[in-house]
Amino acid sequence: MRRLKSHDELALGELYELYAPWVFGLALRILQDEGEAEEVLSDVFVQVWDHIGQHDARRGPLAPWVLSIARNRALDMLRRRRRWWRKAERWERARTAEAGDELAAPNPAEAAVPGWPVHQEVHRALAALPEEQRRVVLLAYFEGLTHSEIARRTGQPLGTVKTRLRIAQTKLAEALQHVKDWMA
Amino acid sequence: MSDWLGMSAPPRAPRPELKAQVLARASQRRSGRRSGPWLAAAAVLLLVAGGGGASWAYRRLGVLEGDRARLVAELQAARDSLSYLVGTTSRVIQIPVSTNGRVGAVTIFADSSKHRWLVRCEGLAPNARGQAYQLWFLTDKGVRSAAVMAMDTDTPMVLALDMPRDSSRVMGAAMSVEVRQGSAEPKGPMVFQLNL
Repeated sequence: MRRLKSHDELALGELYELYAPWVFGLALRILQDEGEAEEVLSDVFVQVWDHIGQHDARRGPLAPWVLSIARNRALDMLRRRRRWWRKAERWERARTAEAGDELAAPNPAEAAVPGWPVHQEVHRALAALPEEQRRVVLLAYFEGLTHSEIARRTGQPLGTVKTRLRIAQTKLAEALQHVKDWMA
Repeated sequence: MSDWLGMSAPPRAPRPELKAQVLARASQRRSGRRSGPWLAAAAVLLLVAGGGGASWAYRRLGVLEGDRARLVAELQAARDSLSYLVGTTSRVIQIPVSTNGRVGAVTIFADSSKHRWLVRCEGLAPNARGQAYQLWFLTDKGVRSAAVMAMDTDTPMVLALDMPRDSSRVMGAAMSVEVRQGSAEPKGPMVFQLNL
């Protein structure tokens, strides 16, 4: 962190090696488009490099901070995409295909990526949620839907959606509170 | 939302050649920023050297104070405009338009965190007498007037707009030619209509 904050370019390269697969994976999961995900990846590392001084290690590890930037960038791009409906259909098909696959055995190449144990921890925490809570969490996180939009999408009352999200967030926070960043 | 949820997406290695491009882009921005203070220092030095003697500087003090206030205001405005370009919550939408056979563009810099738009119109044909361009927000609760822009010359026009403050969600924008004082709803010919 000290090297990053003093803008050591080698440190940025090392950070890229560690986090790029996760940033790219998250952007790809949200956007379902490699070109756009690459654009997000580039924007994220430029933003991290420019604003690394704003990251306060006392408030949390670096990985969630970087991933939150990636998520925001990807959701911004998702929203402004003119070809939204066409790609949304593709996304929906991919999501349906993934639905039963959340805890699938890791691809050996993926499992070698730094941070893989954290990925597994997060999946375990998500899998432990009841289906209705997991669904609202995924809609909020990966599609950036508001509470009202989730209520419309799922056909549930707004209050139910809010309650499910609140309970799910509490459970996730408890389940993941021990997780530490893998960057030394 | 839980801080770690992003880790639930499966990792994917980006194309190897992307790394060099990303690092080069980050590095360029940084060196661009580093040169900023040097340029500023050089500008200050030139200003001081060109300023001449102390007595002249004293006489000019009042004038310079005025200039300083003006520059601060301009800098503030420039920073504000720049925030639309570099802000993480801003986006740029360029809409080619054709008015009276002339090809121009309306560029919208939308900042969702400040709920403001910066709109630049260029290449639009000057309005006929008694007419003006009117910009509209297309919201989930209907069409809202955003601004009336009377263009008597073909000079580019820039204006900042506050987005609707109520609960309505802006889903698009449109521009039409209306009467000079503006209309309550679009009635005249449409210059463009855009869904965001």
